[in-house]
Amino acid sequence: MKLTAEILSRDEQQRIHDHSLRVLWEAGVQFHSLKALKLLAEAGATVDWETKIARIPEKLVIQTLETAPKSFVLGARNSSYDYPMPSPHTRYTMDGTSAFATDFETGERRYGTLKDLERGVRVFMAADMGVMCWPPCCASDAPDGSRPLHEFLTMLRFCSKHGNHELHHPNQVPYFVAALKAICGDDDAVRQRKIASVVYCPVAPLMHDAEMCDAYLDLGAYDVPILILPMPATGTTGPASLFSNIVQGNAEALSSIVLYQLARPGRPLIYGSASGSLDFASGGFLTGVPEMVLQTAAMAVMGRFYGLPNTATGCVSDAKATGIQAVIEKVITTLPAVLVSADLVSGIGEIETSQNLILEQVLIDNEIAHFCERLHQGVDTSPQKDLIEDIIHVGPGGNFLKARSTRVMARSDEFYIPQLAVRQSYENWLALGSPDMRDRAREKVREILNSPLVDPLPEVVSREIDEILREADKELSAEE
Amino acid sequence: MIEGLYQQMKQSVLDGDYELAETLAKKALELGIDPLEAINNGYMPGVNEVGQLFSCGEMFLPELVQAGEAMKIAIAIFEPEMARRGSQRESLGKVVLGTVEGDIHEIGKTLVGTMLTANGFEVFDLGVDVSVSRLIEKALEVNADLIGASALLTTTMIKQKSLVDELKAEGLDKRFKVMVGGAPVTQEWAQRIGAHGYSEDAIGAVAVAKRLVGKAG
Ligand code: B1M
Repeated sequence: MKLTAEILSRDEQQRIHDHSLRVLWEAGVQFHSLKALKLLAEAGATVDWETKIARIPEKLVIQTLETAPKSFVLGARNSSYDYPMPSPHTRYTMDGTSAFATDFETGERRYGTLKDLERGVRVFMAADMGVMCWPPCCASDAPDGSRPLHEFLTMLRFCSKHGNHELHHPNQVPYFVAALKAICGDDDAVRQRKIASVVYCPVAPLMHDAEMCDAYLDLGAYDVPILILPMPATGTTGPASLFSNIVQGNAEALSSIVLYQLARPGRPLIYGSASGSLDFASGGFLTGVPEMVLQTAAMAVMGRFYGLPNTATGCVSDAKATGIQAVIEKVITTLPAVLVSADLVSGIGEIETSQNLILEQVLIDNEIAHFCERLHQGVDTSPQKDLIEDIIHVGPGGNFLKARSTRVMARSDEFYIPQLAVRQSYENWLALGSPDMRDRAREKVREILNSPLVDPLPEVVSREIDEILREADKELSAEE
Repeated sequence: MIEGLYQQMKQSVLDGDYELAETLAKKALELGIDPLEAINNGYMPGVNEVGQLFSCGEMFLPELVQAGEAMKIAIAIFEPEMARRGSQRESLGKVVLGTVEGDIHEIGKTLVGTMLTANGFEVFDLGVDVSVSRLIEKALEVNADLIGASALLTTTMIKQKSLVDELKAEGLDKRFKVMVGGAPVTQEWAQRIGAHGYSEDAIGAVAVAKRLVGKAG
């Protein structure tokens, strides 16, 4: 059977849901978008226009959970990367939007650029466990008013897997939609293919900002999926117990679902979370800790409770450098999310609480993902794996190397063959210059960057996107 | 007897015991103790101790915040009497603080404010998404020494530069010092935009603020 984890009993899930309903009704949720408040008021929420707090009744939650799709396909520019959700196995997103990147050549930590972003997503293309890309770093060299568009479109240009990012303002929406049309063909194809989605963080505790919210409401017309990612931290922006911080995060997620389903019933949503744990000694937001992943894995289970496709933050680290701390933190924050069968774990490639992109880390994390998957697959006792006849046939004192089954199993999913782990004999290893996993990852990264682009955009589409960005630079930077 | 009362006041701060802090303030008033004496000899030593213990990692954030809160409650009780006597608390300086426009990350900025308050600054925290003009208006209104601007997004860091530029344009750059911080902000960025001070964390922010208002050491 599969190796799985149980993190919330059915009764505990129900309690979290019931508590969340109390929060939504008794405390309410603040929406800074007037559009959002109007939608909520018309649908039956009790709105205080002065404080902008909407008290959301249970019936709205039930109604909107019904219209939210229970499955859909996360499309990709190259359809062989399409990812149907929910999924029987866990796959990964790139970690997103660090301020810094570690220069692959010099090792210097500096502000990220469009070039770093391009390199990051090209390495992600080679990470076989990754299905959803996210601009791994911010582009400090892109113009301010149109920066998210540069980041979004550079990602879609260099990565043919599904792309997720954010828009900050409704004025960015037309350019983004124009680019999606250029890539997909027309409006209908944009709606159907769903090659890109947006990430939405409610503002903990229990608030929604105006501009991002309005931009995402506008994108509803194109059925652009939203990845909902509440991130309350235990003790600062959320209560100081895992259970209650889960309740608050769940209430924040539900309030987002209510809003976006009221605006466009049937719009695809992914239920996610990136809740944090407080470093009580410094106030820091910790991600690479058990208390973080216990929350996000539990919330992935809440996503399932509602029947929604889900994602959990994991494979993350607060370490300031690659190495022992980073790997320990990444493993412990991946495994629980995998063992509860989250559809997506977010995400790979960064350290320093998602503030530093390291190209080698993308491949190292991909390896962690494989190891965790193998654990999750557990001990398969199906007839194909039942080799009792071989035991009897070989008997005492023989060996199994000549058995047909050994040959077959060696190349089956029974044994994961690592891409990076070092397994040479000691002398051989010395002779090779004592490489470690990081050295091997570096070699692979260099190979990837020296190889031709995978799935480049057709020349005309690429030019059209250049034109859209030029226009956006002109118009949006002028508005700044 | 008074010493014992001061000791209890200090303890109420160390324990974050709001009720006790309030009761003791009322008691001090009944006994006719000068509110400033009570604050400086009773509550402040508690706040200072918590601040120090926090800086070396021995006390935790909620303990720091609740110590500050306990003192605030006591001061509120003393305020009418202080007004009557025309006495004012000494402060290291006035700081106007906010997270810049377009940015709603709150916690880092609030922590900086808490540490500054605990160390004797008078802090005017304008919250998040605060425009450059509001920061400057408030600084003028309260006659601040220092403006602190926090930014957590690479897209909003530019507002820290706007603040410095605007102060220069209005000829106010000599009057108000500027301190910047936030996860993506670096010393190099602070220098490039011409901010007077930068700190990587809330504890360092206190030292920087003291240096900027000429109260270092
Ligand atoms: C004046 O002098 C000074 C001196 C020192 C100063 C100072 C001022 N200010 C701070 N300091 C310093 O002292 C403090 C204490 O030691 C420190 O403060 P910090 O604020 O750094 O530290 C705090 C104590 C704890 N840290 C935090 O609270 C921030 C943690 C992270 C995870 C974070 C959080 C929690 C949030 N977020 Co946001 N968030 C991230 C953050 C990741 C990270 N690594 O920082 C970051 C900053 N966020 C990011 C993003 C992208 C976003 N966030 C958003 C929203 C949110 C939440 C609302 C969900 C939440 C904040 C809740 C709240 N009420 O504050 C969105 C933007 C909203 C907006 N308009 O501002 C949104 C755009 C996400 C979305 N798609 O919705 C990324 C920034 C990308 C970039 N490089 O620009 C990010 C790095 C995460 C990531 N990798 O994606 C020091 O920096």
